[in-house]
Amino acid sequence: MTESQDKALLERKVRKAFQTLILQRGRNPGVKGWELRRHLGREYRKIIEVLSEDVSALGLEVFEVKGPDGTDDSSRFLLRFKEPPTVSEAETSGIRIDDLAVLAATIAFVNSKAGRAARREVEQFLREKFPKWRIEYSLDRYVKRGYLEQDERALMHIGWRTRAEVDEKTLMTMLLSRGTREVATP
Amino acid sequence: MEPKKLEEILRVIELCRSVERSSADPFEVDIREKIELLRKQLPEWKFLDDLLVDSEAMLELAQIVKLQDEWLKHRASSLYIDPLLIQLKVKLLTREELYEGFVKSWHPLVQVDQISPSGLEKAFAYWRDLTPLADRFRQDFGSYGVQPGVIDLKDLVDLKIYNEQQFEERLKVLRDELLQKSNGEWIDYMQFVEAPTFEDKVVRAYLLAFLISEGYASLKTDPLSGKIWVVALSTKAGGIPKSMAVSIAGEK
Repeated sequence: MTESQDKALLERKVRKAFQTLILQRGRNPGVKGWELRRHLGREYRKIIEVLSEDVSALGLEVFEVKGPDGTDDSSRFLLRFKEPPTVSEAETSGIRIDDLAVLAATIAFVNSKAGRAARREVEQFLREKFPKWRIEYSLDRYVKRGYLEQDERALMHIGWRTRAEVDEKTLMTMLLSRGTREVATP
Repeated sequence: MEPKKLEEILRVIELCRSVERSSADPFEVDIREKIELLRKQLPEWKFLDDLLVDSEAMLELAQIVKLQDEWLKHRASSLYIDPLLIQLKVKLLTREELYEGFVKSWHPLVQVDQISPSGLEKAFAYWRDLTPLADRFRQDFGSYGVQPGVIDLKDLVDLKIYNEQQFEERLKVLRDELLQKSNGEWIDYMQFVEAPTFEDKVVRAYLLAFLISEGYASLKTDPLSGKIWVVALSTKAGGIPKSMAVSIAGEK
């Protein structure tokens, strides 16, 4: 195979990888490692790396969320913003301040409790700032969308979507530094 | 097992469960002490139920050890911050500050949520080749999809199982048999319809149902034992008849 044929093949695979990642399949966004292997072949990680470089010019990146067993097949690959949006950009997306504030406080609270907190504890904690109906509505919504998880014992955990979209370390640093001094985002 | 000792084990189980259900520190459970307690009591347990309680306690303790492992991993991670400090901080922040903190650490996902032309084409082909629901039911469940119905005498005649004369004759024979066997007393329904083959048994049950509907016999059930009793009536009964479903099972 000539160099130009190689290049054409790679370009075709990168294009396919982009289309596979950006089109929603099933309920949850992103594509599992085994699906990418099936679509792109065994060398899919290299193709994903090339794609990630290509989309960085558009302010995007391919992000990997490790699956529960830590194998390549169970990892979920997603296309996401490389840098967080500015506050004014986020405001234009139509997301309510109250909704995101509930999520931020819940993530911080659950993380402070070693990653698991009873739902009633979370609700009690949030009730100082938000009305009861807003808390219940927001928590249910974030569980449904994968930002939070709730198990059969009504314990809340951080969901896979938070792991995909939120830099938890930055969030905790931001929250701790508020009211004292501003920290630059990494 | 002595009630006091059993109570101790149950307390261990309850303690573990309460820690599992809340965000309490799993190190509040003294695993060594609890296992020592189980070890001391083990020789005294004689019955299976006692051993099952012991196993349950061991399982709950194992869950606590797992939680302790996760707890340690979290504390060792960079995400660990003193819970009281973070809770106090969050309480002091305004909604706007919480929102801003979140946005600055947020990398929204990018995805297209729409139907593609190739997806539409596949969907059309699927729809075109899809077998109608009624046919799929027939393939998968045979006659399961057919609603249960009623077979009357006319159907039996049409099916050439009986002609009307034979039916009347068999009905009379069965009525005489019932009159003779019951002799004014309630007798066991199942014993009465019993026959050498399942087919005969169903025929007897069907004919008996006809006699009951016509008022020449009566049926009663015992809801506790599930037994069904039947009695022949010398004169045709009046009143309002009631329906009752009786299941006739074949041989196993």
